[in-house]
Amino acid sequence: MLTSELSILLIYGLVTAITLGLKTTGMMASIDMGYLLSSRDETRTLQGMLGRLDRALNNSVVALALITPPILIIALRDQSSAQSLLAAQVFLAARIVYLPAYVLGIIGVRTLVWTGGFLATLVLYFLAL
Amino acid sequence: MTPELTVLALAGLLQVLQYVLMSVPANMELGVGKTASPRDRERLGGAIEDLLSPKTARLLRALNNHFEGLILFTLAVVVVTLSDQSTPFTATCAWAYLAARVAYVPAYYFGLSPWRSVIWFVGFGATIAMLISALI
Repeated sequence: MLTSELSILLIYGLVTAITLGLKTTGMMASIDMGYLLSSRDETRTLQGMLGRLDRALNNSVVALALITPPILIIALRDQSSAQSLLAAQVFLAARIVYLPAYVLGIIGVRTLVWTGGFLATLVLYFLAL
Repeated sequence: MTPELTVLALAGLLQVLQYVLMSVPANMELGVGKTASPRDRERLGGAIEDLLSPKTARLLRALNNHFEGLILFTLAVVVVTLSDQSTPFTATCAWAYLAARVAYVPAYYFGLSPWRSVIWFVGFGATIAMLISALI
């Protein structure tokens, strides 16, 4: 399953969707449904771990938007190589570790794995070019 | 071109339309002096969303929400198309996604509760169904 860049992208998409589902579930547990179902005209800031999960999700979506182009290019041009596969695997592993590191507030680890995921993305761009 | 790719292009156009729908009233309300400025909080007197009228702010939130949805949907379409896994089911999911995202905008604008949330969930569910069908 982890043997092609495309399937890694697919799994990362599911991880991001699950993160979004967790955030929504957390909001339903901590904020009244009336507000959630309304048009949310007053801004409410998410507190504590839920706030962290929200920021982690936003960061994951940005990472997803950045990783999709090189993976698409590599797949369309049949440029897959051992290096590109490894970079995609490093990206996925780093982004998965990022989520608990953020939610549990593990200082240092979060920044470290974020950097790992970002560098893996850059490597994929270089390989795509 | 697969139906999923057609829908992806239309969803991109929807995002452009949502941009126009939001930025025209936003510019009329705030004035070009503010919108064309670097939008420093101290100069504007707050975040730009807080300065908009409630309904224009809803259009802005609907736009931002579609960015998140569109990024996930793009991934689903790319994977389904490139791995030749397009089926009538994934095509139906793609159209359901687009229909939901179109309906989401007026549902948000007019504050239709709980329909905005229900519609959002249809779009999200359709994306997940595409991802899972590509996985299995």
